[in-house]
Amino acid sequence: MTVSALTRPGERDRLIVKFGEIDWMFCLTLCLIAGAGAVMQFSIAGSSWSPWAGPHLARFALFFAIMIVLSLIDLRVWFALAYPIYGVGFLLLLAVMVVGHHALGAQRWLQAGPITIQPSEIMKIGMVLALARFYHGLSGRSAQLSWWLLIPAALILAPSYLVYKQPDFGTAILMAFTGVIVVILAGLSWRLIVAGALGAGLLVPVVVMFGLHGYQKARLTTFLDPQADPSGAGYHNLQSAIAIGSGGLLGKGYGLGSQAQLNFLPEKQTDFIFATLAEEFGFVGCVTILVLYAAVIFMALRTAYLSHSHFGRLAAAGVTATFALYVLINGSMVMGLAPVVGVPMPLLSYGGTVMLTVMVGFGLVMAVRVHRYSEVTSGKGSLL
Amino acid sequence: MAEPSIFFAEVNERQGVFHRRAFLLGGFSGVGLVALGAQLAHLQLIETERYTKLSANNQFNFRMTPPPRGLIVDRNGVVLASNRPNFRLMVAKDKGVDPAGTLKTLAEFVPMDDGRQARLLREISNAPRRSPVQIMEDMTWEQFSAINIRAPELPGVTADMGEVRVYPYGGAFAHVIGYVAKVNKSDLKPTGPNADPILLNPGFRIGRQGVEQAFDLDLRGKPGAQKVEVDANGHEVATDPAGDIKAIPGKEIVLTLDADIQNRAEEIFGSESGAAVMMDCRSGDILCMYSGPSFDANKFVRGLTATEYKELAQYDHKPLFNKALTANYPPGSTFKTMVALAALENGYDPATTHVCGKVWFWGGRPWHCDKAHGVQNLHTAIATSCDIYFYQCALAIGPDKIARVAREFGLGKEFDIGIPGQKKGLIPDTAYKRRAFPKDPVWHPGETPSMGIGQGYTHLNPLQLCVQCSRLANGRKALLPRLIKSIGGVERPSGAAVSDLPFKPEHIDFVRTGMAAVTGANGERIAHATGFGQADLGLGPTLLMAGKSGTAQSRGYGGGTGVHDRNGAWALRDHAWFIAFAPYDAPRYAVSVLVEHGGFGAGASGPRARELLRIALLKDPEIRAKIEHPLPIPEAPQVDSDPDVVDPPTPAAQAVQAAAEQQPT
Repeated sequence: MTVSALTRPGERDRLIVKFGEIDWMFCLTLCLIAGAGAVMQFSIAGSSWSPWAGPHLARFALFFAIMIVLSLIDLRVWFALAYPIYGVGFLLLLAVMVVGHHALGAQRWLQAGPITIQPSEIMKIGMVLALARFYHGLSGRSAQLSWWLLIPAALILAPSYLVYKQPDFGTAILMAFTGVIVVILAGLSWRLIVAGALGAGLLVPVVVMFGLHGYQKARLTTFLDPQADPSGAGYHNLQSAIAIGSGGLLGKGYGLGSQAQLNFLPEKQTDFIFATLAEEFGFVGCVTILVLYAAVIFMALRTAYLSHSHFGRLAAAGVTATFALYVLINGSMVMGLAPVVGVPMPLLSYGGTVMLTVMVGFGLVMAVRVHRYSEVTSGKGSLL
Repeated sequence: MAEPSIFFAEVNERQGVFHRRAFLLGGFSGVGLVALGAQLAHLQLIETERYTKLSANNQFNFRMTPPPRGLIVDRNGVVLASNRPNFRLMVAKDKGVDPAGTLKTLAEFVPMDDGRQARLLREISNAPRRSPVQIMEDMTWEQFSAINIRAPELPGVTADMGEVRVYPYGGAFAHVIGYVAKVNKSDLKPTGPNADPILLNPGFRIGRQGVEQAFDLDLRGKPGAQKVEVDANGHEVATDPAGDIKAIPGKEIVLTLDADIQNRAEEIFGSESGAAVMMDCRSGDILCMYSGPSFDANKFVRGLTATEYKELAQYDHKPLFNKALTANYPPGSTFKTMVALAALENGYDPATTHVCGKVWFWGGRPWHCDKAHGVQNLHTAIATSCDIYFYQCALAIGPDKIARVAREFGLGKEFDIGIPGQKKGLIPDTAYKRRAFPKDPVWHPGETPSMGIGQGYTHLNPLQLCVQCSRLANGRKALLPRLIKSIGGVERPSGAAVSDLPFKPEHIDFVRTGMAAVTGANGERIAHATGFGQADLGLGPTLLMAGKSGTAQSRGYGGGTGVHDRNGAWALRDHAWFIAFAPYDAPRYAVSVLVEHGGFGAGASGPRARELLRIALLKDPEIRAKIEHPLPIPEAPQVDSDPDVVDPPTPAAQAVQAAAEQQPT
């Protein structure tokens, strides 16, 4: 049964109807990408399910189920929980400053019994929700240019700064970018956008000079000249380019990528999985994966487009923007178009944290789709 | 339903803005993805060749394979220096390798005490990363295979099979061939052949003495390479035999030495200190060059302990010196051959006689002789080695003429035999006296008699005496000694391709006949002949030895006679020389023997020279054919019809019959 704006509200609340409203093509595309990730992880582990491919698939299955469950949650619940989630995320970010776990010189995790929490990941969803929630109640005119905009600015900058301090430059940039995209989508005045872009353009050199850690600066300079120190800091960029370039049109063949198999490629199962794929499946394989990513972005944006509530639109678009940024940043980094920042290729890379974030985000996107005709209110009549 | 907080118009406008901008977002994402695709196309389609090459360079490495060191063989192909397999154990410093723990684990397989572990640990930490340090050599097969099985769990450990130099005859050739030893820091040079990275290979050994040192580069060969697939840490993953570059083995060096003669020399010297050199007096080939006592060169390959080295270096018999080239002593009476020849060449009448009464007074002092030889002429004086005759003979000719003859015979000369370390010694003359003694530059007549009996300033080495003897035996050519027959199949110039001696052959014949009279080889029985009875080599009546003994004073005696006998303290005894050649009538081999502190020349050195010549003749196929001349084929014995008359077979006939039975037709 198809749902339309004219379907009775009660009818739309039936679980079976909601189930039918989930975009199954979208889900299939996600499965294909995650499956491709598992295939590559199987290959570089020397044709073995452990240590990567097996857990990757198991995790994806679990997170897929979570996504489906989340997509059935009424959008009004999401709406109501938007600020609380943001608040919890923010508190956890503060907590991580105090008692976080060290990993590779950065403080990013909280350990709660067996569970590792990376608050910046909660914040990625939380910020999108909070911004969507805020703009839902803001007039279009105010969204263009008004003092009200200081609130979203604070919502974006505060957590981004905390993440940057961890230090996790990649995530901080990603977060700030996502926030800015939501603000722009909500209707920020073009004049402010242009002014901001110019300001940022002037600010970048300053940040590079004074705001970056030694390793971050090294990554930037090696990005600008990767051949300068091929076995040192430029190693990642160069080896990745070699892996991709040597793949050629059709690739070296499954399981035959010497760069990845012989460990020349660093982080081959996580950040550089795309290079692994490029080496073994060549241009054809890469373009196929890029098309799948494009399909995901297109379908998620269409969901945002179709939503009747402003909250739903902005939330879905915000999640899509995060996802697209992941893909573009990782892609550019792997291909030597951007410096090496620790951003994985979503769903393709091994690792649960980002996958959970992305799948929870897509749960939100699907919830927007399933409840695209629901009216969420900002006032007293709202749920909860 | 609650009041809408925002008016519809506003809502619609807000929605419109979002839709437009979401469209832009989609557009930007699309552009970004297309840009990625374009970059992919650039890398994978346009520059793919370059990156494929880089990838292959990453993947493959060439590991040096040391070439087998060239063999050293004797004239008959007997191997004197070769290589044997060696199971080595090595540990390299690398990421994730804990050398201390690794050594502890390895100590379960091979004996390694704590001190050795500590020493190796220091060596490993000083070595560059991934360059292996040898932990142990010559493991047994059991140790080797046990470690190889465990190798995957022991990062940084390699157990492989290398080659190590081996000298099958141990000591006999040690001085000529030398040995190989570990490369020192001082061996490594920034340029030239010793800049070769092969020197850094843990199994590499560099030539240290003799032939091994002199022809090190020829023996070394060219290293090959093994193509190996490596991972990013440089660990070997697989080998690619098709890509291997073969090592070029070192060149084979053929010596002119004969292993049998050389080994016999070692045997007959026993613990005596001395040297023996034998030359083929037709070609100049050195058949034997032994210096005793010797040492086991194999120990040097492994590396001597400090104690072992000290024992060798401090032993008063000086085993580390090649005495054949470096032992410079007065030649004693062997020099009388030169004095006699110089006399003949300068018109001295060989029939001139002098009377020897054991003591001769001249120049205000007594000059001694061994015995009272009575009336002597030049011929008998050579045979009896009468000092009193040669004092006067030398005075009659003068030092410069003697020196000229001696030098023409190679005395006081250095020869290019391929290996370094010859000490030239000295043939004195008036010019030398002027040069070396500025305070007393005049050659006093009183110095000539000493020179005439081979004492005084004259100092020579065994090689020179052998060259002298072989030139005397040859009688015509100024033969040059040759030690290296060929290198890598390329023959070195023969020692016979030389000009003739500038002396009359009959004069040389006269000296040779004198030497024959020393041993009695020419059938003469001269009273007091010093080597009488030593002509017989035990090879039949036609193969006889001629020679000349010499006894070099090891110190001044203040006018008295020397310590000829073997009763005095070793270090005080005279040095015993003997030069000889055989067969007397058609000389083939010439030998010089020196026994340090051996006492009387004919006693200590004569029998040794004889034995060496005997072996040389036995090894000579032509001589052998002469000795073992085949028995004539006997005629079929006539069977006498009368059984009563049976001649008892003579012993000779019995032997003929036995030989005939052994060779059935």
